[in-house]
Amino acid sequence: MFSKKSVTLAFVLVTILSLTLSACGGGVTKQPVTLRIGWAGSPDTLNPGTAVLSEAWTLFEVVYDSMYDLELDGSYTLSLADSVTTSDDGLVWTYKIHDGIKFHDGTPLTAEDVAFSYNFYKDNVDFPYMNPYTTYFDTVEATSSTEVVITLTEPIPNIDYQLVFLYILPKHIWEGVNPTEYENVEMIGSGPFKMVEYKQNEFVHLAANKDYFRTPPIIDDAIFQTFENQDALVQAIKTGQVDLITEMPNTAVATLRNEPNIAVVTGAPFAPEVTDIILNQCSQANCPLDAGGVCSGHPALQDRNVRLALAHATDKQKIIDVVLLGLGTPGLTLIPDGLGMWYNDTLKDYEYNIPLANQILDDAGYMDANGDGIRDMPDGSRPLTFRLNWPSDSINAPRMADLLSETWGQIGVTLQMQAVDPDALTAQCCPAFDFDIMIWGWGSDPDPNLLLGVMTTEQIPTGSSETGYSNPAYDALYIQQATELDKDQRKALVWQMQQIAHDDVVYIIPFYPQAVQAYRTDRFTGWITDKPKVALEDVTSLVVVKPVK
Amino acid sequence: MSVQITEFKPTVPSSPLLDFWRVFSRNRMALVGLVMLAAIFVGAVFASQLAPYDVSTSENITINDIYNPPSAAHWLGTDDAGKDVLSNFFFGARVSLIVGFFAAFISVVIGGVMGIVAGFYGGRVENLLMRFTDIMLVIPDLPLMVVIVALTKPSLLNIIFVIGLLGWTTTSRIVRSQTLAVKSRKFVLRARAIGAGNGHIIRHHILPLVMPLLVVNDILVISLAILDESTLSFLGLGDPTALSWGQMLNFAFGRGAMSAGAWWALVVPGFGIVWVVLSLTLLGHGLEQVLNPRLETHHLTPGRPVIRSEIPWRREKKKGEAPILLDVRDLSINYITEGKPPARAVEKVSFQLHEGELMGLVGESGCGKTTLMLALLRLLPAAGQIVGGGAYFTDKELTAMSEAEITDVRWKGISIIFQGAMNALNPVRTVSDQIAEAIIKHSPPIPRNHLDARVVELLDLVGIAAQHKDHYPHQYSGGMRQRAMIAMALACDPQVVIADEPTTALDVMIQAQILELLDNLRHRLGLSIIFVTHDLGVVAEMCDSVLVMYGGVTAEYGDVDTIYNAACHPYTQELLKAFPDLSNPEKRLASIPGYPPRLEALPPGCRFAPRCPAAFARCASERPALHALGEDHFASCHLVEVPS
Amino acid sequence: MKRYQYLLKKIAWSFFTILFVLVLNFLLFRVLPGDPARAGVRDPRMKQEAIEAIRIRFGLDKPVINCFESLNPIKVGSCTINPLDTQFFIYVRNLLQGDMGISFHSNRPVADILSERLWNTVLLIGSGQILAIMLGVAFGIIAAWKARTVIDYAALLSSLLAWSLPTFWLGIILLFWGSGHGLPIGGKATPGTSSLPFLQQWADIARHMLLPTLTYTIVYMGEYMLIMRSSLLDVLAEDYILTAKAKGLSTFQILKDHALKNAMLPLVTVIAINLGFTVAGALQIEAVFSWPGLGGAIYEAVVRRDFPILQGAFLLIAVSVIIANLIADLTYSYLDPRVQSD
Repeated sequence: MFSKKSVTLAFVLVTILSLTLSACGGGVTKQPVTLRIGWAGSPDTLNPGTAVLSEAWTLFEVVYDSMYDLELDGSYTLSLADSVTTSDDGLVWTYKIHDGIKFHDGTPLTAEDVAFSYNFYKDNVDFPYMNPYTTYFDTVEATSSTEVVITLTEPIPNIDYQLVFLYILPKHIWEGVNPTEYENVEMIGSGPFKMVEYKQNEFVHLAANKDYFRTPPIIDDAIFQTFENQDALVQAIKTGQVDLITEMPNTAVATLRNEPNIAVVTGAPFAPEVTDIILNQCSQANCPLDAGGVCSGHPALQDRNVRLALAHATDKQKIIDVVLLGLGTPGLTLIPDGLGMWYNDTLKDYEYNIPLANQILDDAGYMDANGDGIRDMPDGSRPLTFRLNWPSDSINAPRMADLLSETWGQIGVTLQMQAVDPDALTAQCCPAFDFDIMIWGWGSDPDPNLLLGVMTTEQIPTGSSETGYSNPAYDALYIQQATELDKDQRKALVWQMQQIAHDDVVYIIPFYPQAVQAYRTDRFTGWITDKPKVALEDVTSLVVVKPVK
Repeated sequence: MSVQITEFKPTVPSSPLLDFWRVFSRNRMALVGLVMLAAIFVGAVFASQLAPYDVSTSENITINDIYNPPSAAHWLGTDDAGKDVLSNFFFGARVSLIVGFFAAFISVVIGGVMGIVAGFYGGRVENLLMRFTDIMLVIPDLPLMVVIVALTKPSLLNIIFVIGLLGWTTTSRIVRSQTLAVKSRKFVLRARAIGAGNGHIIRHHILPLVMPLLVVNDILVISLAILDESTLSFLGLGDPTALSWGQMLNFAFGRGAMSAGAWWALVVPGFGIVWVVLSLTLLGHGLEQVLNPRLETHHLTPGRPVIRSEIPWRREKKKGEAPILLDVRDLSINYITEGKPPARAVEKVSFQLHEGELMGLVGESGCGKTTLMLALLRLLPAAGQIVGGGAYFTDKELTAMSEAEITDVRWKGISIIFQGAMNALNPVRTVSDQIAEAIIKHSPPIPRNHLDARVVELLDLVGIAAQHKDHYPHQYSGGMRQRAMIAMALACDPQVVIADEPTTALDVMIQAQILELLDNLRHRLGLSIIFVTHDLGVVAEMCDSVLVMYGGVTAEYGDVDTIYNAACHPYTQELLKAFPDLSNPEKRLASIPGYPPRLEALPPGCRFAPRCPAAFARCASERPALHALGEDHFASCHLVEVPS
Repeated sequence: MKRYQYLLKKIAWSFFTILFVLVLNFLLFRVLPGDPARAGVRDPRMKQEAIEAIRIRFGLDKPVINCFESLNPIKVGSCTINPLDTQFFIYVRNLLQGDMGISFHSNRPVADILSERLWNTVLLIGSGQILAIMLGVAFGIIAAWKARTVIDYAALLSSLLAWSLPTFWLGIILLFWGSGHGLPIGGKATPGTSSLPFLQQWADIARHMLLPTLTYTIVYMGEYMLIMRSSLLDVLAEDYILTAKAKGLSTFQILKDHALKNAMLPLVTVIAINLGFTVAGALQIEAVFSWPGLGGAIYEAVVRRDFPILQGAFLLIAVSVIIANLIADLTYSYLDPRVQSD
């Protein structure tokens, strides 16, 4: 009835018609919603095992999943796992992995991948950050496709902290590669964002993973653009080239606050930092000669009175004003205030009081023996002249050194100031203890364990102890808190340790710097700014921000 | 009559320092540089008094003092630590200047020692040192400095040493060249001959002559050292406890001055650096000009306008006389130098060149022969100016022509054979190119092969084989070069050819060849030639007429026989006496004692009077006029005055 | 024949210089070795085994030269170390294979990182040099021609002023002004433009190149102008210029046919020697404008104490300059006929 030709024609017409209709029904193609983030660094590598820079870790947080999530208030919530059970002795931890999670290339994420990843981190001893998290792992096994069993060598109170940064890698990609040399440019993970394009020191282009097993991001793309310095970031947000900047010079806060479409946010950084003034108090008895100890520290610093006087002669608020333009909180001990519950905020700081400091030194017998304006040792053998060193790549340290020199000068102490190459500074510091006073700093973990360990006697020969402080009571408490499974008990122990360290004036902590970030109010909204920590580039904000209508 | 020979003493002697200062103060660039440098020096030395604030204390500094714009309280604003920028500027000058001077001192000492040792001892030592210098010159210095300072301690002393240890390369080269030049000077050889040791020679002879060069170089090295220190400090490799200008910039740039809009923190320290470096640069360049004065004028500098004056009327042409091609009447030429009276290089000289005539123009070096010749074609250097008289070529007044008009006359009507020393021909172009160029300029366009043929023809005329056509001047021998010059001068069939001392630089045999060639060509081609020389023998052989000049004026002018057999001017007579006579080999050669006159400080009377054996009182006070002694014979001397 | 020998001599000398730079480069970085493991020691999380593993990976456990573990030859005595197993020979062998080590900071091969950046520097320096030469030569000619007039003094003064400006400072000032007027703050291209069509991409790069190239041109134009002026002044005072004038050639003809070629010769040599200094200028400009080139690599490597990058970049720059000098020498010998009979 119908010729072959007419059938073909009809078929073609129908196809065209249906295609047109479906296109019409679909409407106009959408422009992808792209969030541009400016930062002044770049990942050093995309390999989670070998990466060291914080920018790399920011990417890992959004591209990969891990067993727990670290919230902005310092608490941990389960992420990959639906539930966790632990044996009575605290040695066996069983996690039930959520079913149906897929990697960005479509392969399912199973307990096999989890076990593989944990063993991968455990086996490679030269992974600088990842490997230490597996210190207490005895075995890790996938007992089913959704169950992972971790057996520890001893019970620890913070397995959530150990697992939160152990990102789950796809076994089928990583099992054959050279662990330290694999560049991982495709970065196949399971997280809310996936890798599109990466150019080191230029940009990282991520796309939203709309199939994410929890809430997928609202935006379609996120591009992290690298700018050489912080001034460039400020200009970039002013001109609208980026929608968010993760850092800026503190001097720009006033300028940006005056801009109509820009909001500036300050608060504790995601990875809290502490700037410290290290006082070399290593005694000759504790000097680690076998490890290369020189122990040339000024003997006066071993006297608590001297350290106390120096603490009273340190004008922390002025230092914060001049160095940070006020964007910092005065410090107490090595544990920063961003650590939330672990921070002992009941400690009373040594207030800036020059007459009191002078009094302390007078009472302790440090008089000016030869009338040159500088105090000397009680036996008159040495003047109180201290070497003050800092890493030459710090632009703020010289300003701080000037202020210290001025106020400490008012109590009869002089300083020999010298900027030192960071490598040379490390060589001087520990375990050589070939210095008097240093200005340096730490980046902190969410868990206080490591920073507390710095002040133990055990760490003197390893190079982790900077001050050579040795207090058996403190050491004992350290061992206790490392195995205390009850959170509140542990907190009490940690607080007690801070009390001891503060009483002994182990360090003088001028400040904990604050994070300063800015975003354009006319581009995206929904930023999480009400938490103690400020980290707008964190996954918490990135998955919820949406364009301003 | 006894003759008073007055000796002319030089001007009042003054100390070398005063002389130096006189020249120096006239050099504006050096003076400005010195003043600028002095200003910043004063600022640095009196920093404590000039600085409005005490920058060693933060006592009164609060958070509101950071990055304040310029105001009444802080003229140049405040920096990232709340301190006064102006005060920091003065103290920063100290650091920058100290680093610059000391680092440069190290560089110059090293470079100086290396240069002197290399230049003085020569041989393997020199080779080794210079090769090493060459290597260090090639290695890029800033990256090397950056690497070394990055690997060592960021202290001021360290930076001074690193900059100093890398900055000697230019010094060593310059000093070596100078040492080489001085080493072969006579007084050094003399010192050696009387047994002076190496050390003595270096200390007393070489060093004083190298020192001025070293000082100039040192100034430039200081400016480089200051730039280097500021760059290193800016890059974060400086000493943060010593606030140099570069370090101020490092703090400003690294602690958010850009974002705070604090332009004053960025501009002021940089301005300081620019000020100092510019002052040193101006001073150095100025000093260099003082020590090595370069004329800074060249052959393309526009010439001075001709000063028209009354031209004496022409003497009448005689019957049977060949046409007059060149008629020069009372031509006067001065050389103008700033700050000095003009040098009267040529004064009221007249002569006529007939068709086919060969005139010899004779006189000592500096008597104005070449100046006179160049003036005809308006080729005087920038300092020269025709201030009187005129010159005619056929019926065209050369001295009244514009530049465009005279270019038509050049080469086509009158051409010049310059001394064929290395540089009269362009060393990077072939000889045939340069000959062809002249032809192309003055003829209608001709096809290439005709041009080549003409060039070959010209070269053949002077005895150069065609195969040498496309060679470069340095591939010709001295004699060949001179012949090539002749060929080039004939390229456009000129009517008059001026040969300016064409044989002076050549040996006797070649001289004879060239002269024979010229004579030949003159007869073959019917040329009129002016032959400029100081060699009387040549004049006697070839010339038809002779013009003897002394001190810029005509001494005697006439035909060759008259001049040689019946010279009237004492100068001509002395010249003839000084010339060896083949017929009388025993005759003692006489020389004319004394020196030619200084053209900017001429005596009022006869220019030859100081050296004239026949001078009398009138000669010293009154200029002799040009007296005619019979037909076509003139002499300017009081002795030949014919009482009218 | 003669020229062939001249070329050979120059090439041999360049080769020797490169060798010298190689040894210097190696020694410099071993005088105070940057220990990558130290970066980890600051972090108490790094275990001792990890530190040792890193040392072995970077070959820092091997003796430097012969039996000396550092350059301090205190240890004397019998020693049976295979010389080929020392750091120096490993370094040379790797270099010959194109392996410049691994960056401390990013764990990628240095050769890869630097080769990406080399072309960016060439682009920047190339454009800057071309402009600087063109403008410098033009102004130099005018200044020499009009020597001692107002034009000359103005040109002279502005060149000296330009030469006195610290390159980085000029960059900062231009950046400050430019960034307030819509020009990019730094970098080579706006991120994301690598997917745009060719013309748009290069238009974006051109916008980014504007200020750095301007800085470069201003600083070096002054120097070329001074050199061209002095060279041309010397040439114009030569006798053959008078000969040319006497031949009736116009000023323009004289400049074109006689003066320029001669005056350009010293300029060629100076441009090549200057390449070393201009690379230094590139370092400053790339640091201020965040241009992703070799100079920037050195600057970043200094800030981060990434010594393999520093070592590799320095070597690359030094070798480039040496080769540029060689090329200039060869070009000069080609242009100047007098060189043949050396």
